[in-house]
Amino acid sequence: MPGMFETFGRGEGATRSPETLAKLDRVRKTFRHEEADRVPITDFFWGQFRDRWRSELGLPADADPYYYYDLDYIVTVPNMDPHIRSFETIREDDEEVVVKTGFETTIRKRFDLPMPEQVSWETDTIEKMEAFEFDDPADPRRYFEAGDNQIAGVGDGFERNSPPWVETVRSLHADFPVFGSVTEASEITTRLLGQLNTLMWIGEYPERFGEQLLRIGEFSYAIAKAQIEAADGLLDGLVIWGDVAYRKSLFMGPAYWRRYYKPTVAKIIRLAHEHGLLVMYHGCGNANAIFEDMIEIGLDGYNPLEAKADLDVVTLRERLGHRLTFCGNSDIRVWERGDPDEVRREVLHRLRAAEGGGYVFMSDHSVASDVSGQTYDQIVKLVRQYGTYPLNLPEA
Amino acid sequence: MAELGGLSLAIEAGDRASAVRHTSEALAAGVPPQEILDSMTHAMGIIGKRFQDGDIFVPEMLIAARAMKEATTILEPVLVEAGIHPEFTAVIGTVEGDLHDIGKNLVGMMLKGAAIAVVDLGVNVPAERFVEAAREHDARLIGLSALLTTTMPNMRKVVEAIKASDLNTKVMIGGAPTTPEFAEQIGADGFAPDAGSAVDLAKSLLAAG
Repeated sequence: MPGMFETFGRGEGATRSPETLAKLDRVRKTFRHEEADRVPITDFFWGQFRDRWRSELGLPADADPYYYYDLDYIVTVPNMDPHIRSFETIREDDEEVVVKTGFETTIRKRFDLPMPEQVSWETDTIEKMEAFEFDDPADPRRYFEAGDNQIAGVGDGFERNSPPWVETVRSLHADFPVFGSVTEASEITTRLLGQLNTLMWIGEYPERFGEQLLRIGEFSYAIAKAQIEAADGLLDGLVIWGDVAYRKSLFMGPAYWRRYYKPTVAKIIRLAHEHGLLVMYHGCGNANAIFEDMIEIGLDGYNPLEAKADLDVVTLRERLGHRLTFCGNSDIRVWERGDPDEVRREVLHRLRAAEGGGYVFMSDHSVASDVSGQTYDQIVKLVRQYGTYPLNLPEA
Repeated sequence: MAELGGLSLAIEAGDRASAVRHTSEALAAGVPPQEILDSMTHAMGIIGKRFQDGDIFVPEMLIAARAMKEATTILEPVLVEAGIHPEFTAVIGTVEGDLHDIGKNLVGMMLKGAAIAVVDLGVNVPAERFVEAAREHDARLIGLSALLTTTMPNMRKVVEAIKASDLNTKVMIGGAPTTPEFAEQIGADGFAPDAGSAVDLAKSLLAAG
């Protein structure tokens, strides 16, 4: 059952076509806040959306939206599980599978539901967290061998034995700018401890747990470093996965984030920049409180900028200027409703943030299964039609 | 009443050991249980307001709610003995197809903090289960949560099932993709953007009957 990171490339070797180099130039200019030939477009696609899209557009079973639309970059995930281990199957039938993963977390994946359910966590006290030992972040198996890993394998889909990450990167390199990715502390603790424990321990043991967040940050940094080395020059960027906000605000106070999360993000950004990589931070929810911090530590792009969290990229551009590239923000609820006129207004509105570069067109999270193939097709065509520089956007 | 002042402060600070101790001391001193409960709900009211104002965040609200929960454990038998029961019951759950529960759990904690009895149906709850539970527990309020845009349409099914029944139960909704406009479209009685305002909404809906 394929998921969001199923795309394995069709290319071989390090040679890139002029078209791929043009995409890289487009993306780099955009992140430098220059107007390229057109506004880049990419996204994250649920496996169920891909099935629907193929079916509704009459495409073959191996059709892939990144290739079909020649999207501008793609994100990959190595094995970032704290422990490198195969999924331990606890129960499996036609309806669901229950596995224990390298996060030492038991997860139920029902095949008819889009997202998995975390059932229990072995690391369920702060003492266990303090005693928890991470497997070597530089272990070659994370990058060079096929195997199970929770981030790639248990999400909207379910996949065992994900292909070797470096092979995936190599296979995509000829055709796309390729981003690696790293989970920072918030994404790791959500899986390792559960979100409730994470937030409860921030409240109950702010400094003691903060030290653990910094320790987890060291693991994240080392994962970033090792994967950059493993890719051996084939990466163009790095995504930091780090959800720290919800609809209204950050989960925790901004001061707490600055003390225990920001240092790791800053270090990873510095590391990536030392290797010439662009950095996009993926953080759901309303993270208004830390955008200035992200600018201060040199972040290139912020994703997904959820419209659901009352974020609007045009307003953000007015407020923050061209100091941060915005990646996303197109309201998936409009895509799901699928009214062509409303979709057109939506696309034209978000493109207004692209004046002067600094905007990558994406949904405000990921393309879900309630979006029709025809609607996504319309969206790509609109972005290509109206996203050519110099922009000449009609009234929405 | 020094004991109750200490109890309120302990709950506000999320200090569960102190909250339990102050509750024990107040009971031992013969403070009427309703007064103790009022002190707790007052503290949680302050927490809810501070959360809505952005003065505190989710972790602080969580530990305050847990402090109240633990203190309530020793108060509850005394309340029962005195014939004091929550005036209202709310049934809450995450709608069918959706397995996210943190927002729903927060709302549940805050409703309990307002002395509303809460029946938590968990996640992935079908519409008919909400109706059954509301009937079984004589609930005056149903709270629906959804995180995914793909599952929020299932909120409409619950509203329709309630309206098709003989129940006089209000329905409020919340969750990342929901809006006041969506609440209105599906015929829900209200929308709350966060757990703090969910309490205010619940109280107003219950007061309106």
